[in-house]
Amino acid sequence: MSGDMTYILAGWGITLVALAGYTTILVLRGRRLSRQVPPERRRWTS
Amino acid sequence: MTSPHPASTASPATRVLGVVCLAGMAVLVFLAFVASPKDAVQGDLVRLLYIHPALAWTAYLACFVAFGASIQHLRRRTQGSDVLAHAAVEVGTVLTALTLATGSIWGRPTWGVYWVWDARLTSTAMLFLLLLGYLAIQRIDAPPQVRSRRAAIVGVLLVPNVILVHQSVEWWRTLHQDATLARRDFDFATSDLFMFTLVFSVVVMTLVFVWLLMHRFRVGWLELQADEVWLDEAIDARRAEGAVT
Repeated sequence: MSGDMTYILAGWGITLVALAGYTTILVLRGRRLSRQVPPERRRWTS
Repeated sequence: MTSPHPASTASPATRVLGVVCLAGMAVLVFLAFVASPKDAVQGDLVRLLYIHPALAWTAYLACFVAFGASIQHLRRRTQGSDVLAHAAVEVGTVLTALTLATGSIWGRPTWGVYWVWDARLTSTAMLFLLLLGYLAIQRIDAPPQVRSRRAAIVGVLLVPNVILVHQSVEWWRTLHQDATLARRDFDFATSDLFMFTLVFSVVVMTLVFVWLLMHRFRVGWLELQADEVWLDEAIDARRAEGAVT
């Protein structure tokens, strides 16, 4: 693996891991809050 | 069959969008690592440019959304505009952090340093601090209306900072290159796959941003609803106590 590929994989790796991690946190926060709120208050219209 | 009231922030639209985003990311990784050849000047490092400018673009986009929602909040004081601005700022903070990280990683083999106090890098760091400042204000111990109004004032400052970031390469002599794609002598014809992958990365990241923003907005909305449910229950309990005594 060339030296440049280390930087390329680091850049892409950080991006994909961070986006996946943030997505997971958002989804889990949404599920936890949804359980505290009655259905009529979380009716998504889209 | 999908429940009409899902116990999550997902909806049929966001599920479809999520699948499109995942497929788009997979295609982007294929284009960036397999289909796209080495650049004549940058070699393999061009593969980092298939993610860095797209992240910067979506960070700008988040700031524009937060700016509009903040102005709306200052004018109308609506809860929705505050939730939208807060959501856009949080997503924008993640995207700006990634813009800085991927830029630094690209800078090390290209310029020989991870960081330099160049106008573009410094103004982007200022934007990141401003976004963190907004999030900090939303967490201070103050009445919600006061907190939201103060945060909205910071939100209005985001777009002037984005303009500063964007124009920094024109206004000052910088190590960061100027707007390459907007240059008149840029040869689009001989860079078909490069251009396609670059534009594709911007489209995919924009869709990812929209997905994140929708979910983050719904999380913010649920937080408001949960607070109201808690308040209603507390009032009912107090009334019941009063009825007993």
